[in-house]
Amino acid sequence: MNISVKGTEDYGNQLYADLFKRILVDLGLANRIEEARIVILPEKPLFLIGVRTRKARTTVRLEDIASVEAKGDHTYLNITNESYAPVLLANLWKRFGRERIEQLSRLEILCHGIKPDQLKNMELDPGQELKKELLDALWRLMPEGFKVHHTLASDTVMTIAATEHVMVEEMISMAKQLQEEMETSTISEDDSVSEEEDEEEEA
Amino acid sequence: MYEVLMFDGGVYRVNELYELVEDIGGFVIQKTQLQVAITVTIAIPSEDRPIIESKTKELGGKLVEVPLAGTEIAVVAPTLGRHHMPHPVCDIAEHLRRYGAITVVMGLARGKGRATAQITADEKAFIEEYDAAVFILGNFADCIMKEKVRLFEDIEIPVIVVCGPDIKTLPNCEAVVCGVGRKAERMRRADEIAKLEETATAVDAAIFKRRKLIDEDPLCVHPAEVKQRVDELEAVKQNLRPSPIVLHLDGLRVKIPYDECKDMLGDIDIFGRKLRDLTTIAPSRLGGSTMIRILTMAQLQTRDKAAQPS
Repeated sequence: MNISVKGTEDYGNQLYADLFKRILVDLGLANRIEEARIVILPEKPLFLIGVRTRKARTTVRLEDIASVEAKGDHTYLNITNESYAPVLLANLWKRFGRERIEQLSRLEILCHGIKPDQLKNMELDPGQELKKELLDALWRLMPEGFKVHHTLASDTVMTIAATEHVMVEEMISMAKQLQEEMETSTISEDDSVSEEEDEEEEA
Repeated sequence: MYEVLMFDGGVYRVNELYELVEDIGGFVIQKTQLQVAITVTIAIPSEDRPIIESKTKELGGKLVEVPLAGTEIAVVAPTLGRHHMPHPVCDIAEHLRRYGAITVVMGLARGKGRATAQITADEKAFIEEYDAAVFILGNFADCIMKEKVRLFEDIEIPVIVVCGPDIKTLPNCEAVVCGVGRKAERMRRADEIAKLEETATAVDAAIFKRRKLIDEDPLCVHPAEVKQRVDELEAVKQNLRPSPIVLHLDGLRVKIPYDECKDMLGDIDIFGRKLRDLTTIAPSRLGGSTMIRILTMAQLQTRDKAAQPS
């Protein structure tokens, strides 16, 4: 993961690089992010961030990750691929409500009053979850008062420009440029603050 | 001038300490007993400190400096959102409590942002009820120096600003502590603890300056003395709020409703005079509380002269 920050004030740049790294570690996203570029211009004011994530796993069907068994009026699920367990549970809760989904053990779920047919077509998209978690991380990072946002997103890159009053054309074009750069380029080597530099210093 | 100290020892013969404090004209501010261990915060005349030190030694306890005891300090963040809370705001508040202060954390309603950051007159008046205020600001010098300085303009109590970038001075504040920006985790490293110490030292210096100023025209009665009398009220004894009486440099906050208790408070007898003659009693902006501001000697004389029939 490479985090680079450009801006007019060194202290703030370094701090935001460290802060974003810390937030990603807290949310368990550190290994899901490939690169992040941040531009902070307090005098405009503008906070611009572009993040490129690693490719998320493709959509999977319920039958591929769990065995589905009818138990009277209920359905018993035995999860075979543990890495999907949190997403599956969250989806079941969302679709049928917490009172009907009982987690018997770490990998066993009993769905009360739900027929296996209702579940068999269920699909899970971990990519959506990643986007949600990434948005949460960005919300935590962005200055609280910068409420006007302009968001650009593709499969793996998300760019958000945030300001306080009016989002002028210049800011939007800067966001578009960053989005394009992130989609096409590899990690840039410039004079900005980056995690790699920190590691070199420590070494 | 009174000095505030904390006795840390056992309950055995601790009554002797209370009596000695009373004999030398001091006050017991707070007692916290935990089984046989006890901590007692006392205010004593500075010149009598050796007497208390020798008594403490005799009782097998130790005397700890708590320079901020008897003060209530507001720690103000731009908002109470997760961008500012719990770190570093709560870390700073907690550290000030180690120095004996009672701290209150507050967030402004619209303090976030740059040009949109603002403070209402009501919020300023609320902050002015405290002995000092610590404002925790952001990470960019441009933002702090051009916009955020407005937040603590015209506040009549000492203000200490804590911020990230290296700023030498700011208008309308007593001190600036730099190098404390946004934090996502607790301040526990050596350099961060040094910053907490620096903040506490800056608050201590501002409080000391204010104490000196008060000593130029001393209060007609010490706040701890008023506290002793107010403690005896039934309404205070039955109060379940934490620290029902909080000492200030120039008075005290009593956490009982003004409307119901103003007469009861005003009737308290202190050295043959009523409390309402020696103080101004007013409702506090903190709900259900009453502020008692003690008059200085000069103010009392002026009031007495005005009351005499011509």
